[in-house]
Amino acid sequence: MLTLKDVTVRLGGVRILRNVDLKIEKSSTVALIGANGAGKTTTLRTIMGLTEMTGQIEFDGAVLSKVAPSRRPGLGIGYAAEDRRLFSGFTVEENIKMPGQVAGYSDADLAAKMERVYEILPELKEMAKRPAGAVSGGQGKMVALGRALVIGSKLIMLDEPFQGLAPALAHKYADALRKLRNRDREVTLIITESNPDLLRKFAERTLVIERGEIREARSHITTG
Amino acid sequence: MNVQLFALAIVDGVSYAALVFLVAVGLTLIFGVLRVLNVAHGSFYAIGAYTTASVGGAIFAAGFSPWLAFPLMIVAAVLVGTLIGGPIEKFLLSRIYHLEDVLQILVTFAVFLILEDFQRLVWGVQPLFEATALNQLGTVTVFGITYTAYQLIFLPVVAVLVLVGLRLGLRRTLTGRLITAVTEDREAAITIGIDAEKVYLITFIVGASLAALGGALASATTSVVPGMGADMIVLSFAVVATAGLGQIEGAAITALMIGLGRSFAVYVWPEMQVLVPYLIMFGVLLVRPQGLFGGIEARKI
Ligand SMILES: Nc1ncnc2c1ncn2[C@@H]1O[C@H](COP(=O)(O)OP(=O)(O)OP(=O)(O)O)[C@@H](O)[C@H]1O
Ligand SMILES: [Mg+2]
Repeated sequence: MLTLKDVTVRLGGVRILRNVDLKIEKSSTVALIGANGAGKTTTLRTIMGLTEMTGQIEFDGAVLSKVAPSRRPGLGIGYAAEDRRLFSGFTVEENIKMPGQVAGYSDADLAAKMERVYEILPELKEMAKRPAGAVSGGQGKMVALGRALVIGSKLIMLDEPFQGLAPALAHKYADALRKLRNRDREVTLIITESNPDLLRKFAERTLVIERGEIREARSHITTG
Repeated sequence: MNVQLFALAIVDGVSYAALVFLVAVGLTLIFGVLRVLNVAHGSFYAIGAYTTASVGGAIFAAGFSPWLAFPLMIVAAVLVGTLIGGPIEKFLLSRIYHLEDVLQILVTFAVFLILEDFQRLVWGVQPLFEATALNQLGTVTVFGITYTAYQLIFLPVVAVLVLVGLRLGLRRTLTGRLITAVTEDREAAITIGIDAEKVYLITFIVGASLAALGGALASATTSVVPGMGADMIVLSFAVVATAGLGQIEGAAITALMIGLGRSFAVYVWPEMQVLVPYLIMFGVLLVRPQGLFGGIEARKI
């Protein structure tokens, strides 16, 4: 349901992605691993429309690469960037709600989505009223996940969600992903990580990015 | 200086500050969101004044109610902001956001020159004067001085309403929240579905309309003449720089300081009248280069 066809991305004159062909099935959980600087972030940003690319991306029957970047979340794509990118002037809850408000969800719809977010990430409830600028880096990762959950009904992309999390928080975060996986079998998950061990337990499929090419990992554990 | 002159200077300063604030707050709003210093901003002020004075003159001569002067100002301001400001952002500025500041300023300066010629073409060089709104509100006597209610009460009230309305609008309405989000992080805003281009356009139209409203209100108190836009843009640059770029409340306080400074100079040391705003600006910027209310890492709007 997500297909990259001959996708090439150049940044500062260097080809970061080279003629990538990739198919990701609906409802799958995919780990995208690679060394620092390999192009994991670039791949997710390209799917969000934040880079100049050639080639074509299809998603859910539409040519995603022709859709304006700001309209992509509305197709059901949630994205949590590597560096959180919360809006510091708003509360945690306002941050999480915002994609839903932008997409024009009804109050009832939004309330239901928020319910689901708090069910998956109960620790967000305690900090709901805090300004997003006043949460720690790790907590901010949780908020960014919550924000991606609100809009990501079909595809959720998380860029290095475990990076910088203390073990306890990393556990909670992993729990949240597991809960999400169990509750919502439809949604497709793409998670990048520079430490492949962290995602072994989750991912049904592991992709490795290297020298601008994306290929299947030689061995991967399927736990479903 | 006796009490009456003192009161006169204050009223003068406050009513002038109200006009300057309307223009400056539009400028600072646009800068805060779009990060473009719009030199053509003063032209919206001038065109707002010309439109109000000429249309007002025509409809009052045709026998329409003088009270229409007030709705006319609002309509003129919104029309100028939308019909002239809108296309400028959509077709011109939107193409230059990636350019260096200096080039952006040059482009908006070119727009300013074109709009100056446009005014000469449409309204000629004869001063226009249309004070129906001013006369309509009558006069008020305080401290033994008779002053127009328009300048003593109406202009400051409009300025305060705009200030409060902007703040509440940015905080409470969805559009306002989207503007705030795009201001903080345009790319993050896009990834949650915010159409940043539309937000830029709306912001520019609001900012341009505020400048035009300033001109519309000013047209009742003074002759509308060529060059008024240039004077106003320089003054509002001084206000915005003194306050700190992107500071809305700061622009209000600074406009008041500069307005009062200027009007006291008129009575105390008239030769300095024109210079006072810039002296205040230089004084402040020497001590605080980021402006009175600007943070080091400028918090925008
Ligand atoms: N704006 C840019 N201009 C030029 N090169 C860039 C730009 N952004 C990223 N790069 C380069 O593109 C390559 C891929 O970067 P990317 O951020 O996608 O890597 P990553 O796999 O996410 O790395 P990390 O694990 O460190 O997050 C890097 O070599 C980086 O230096
Ligand atoms: Mg990365």
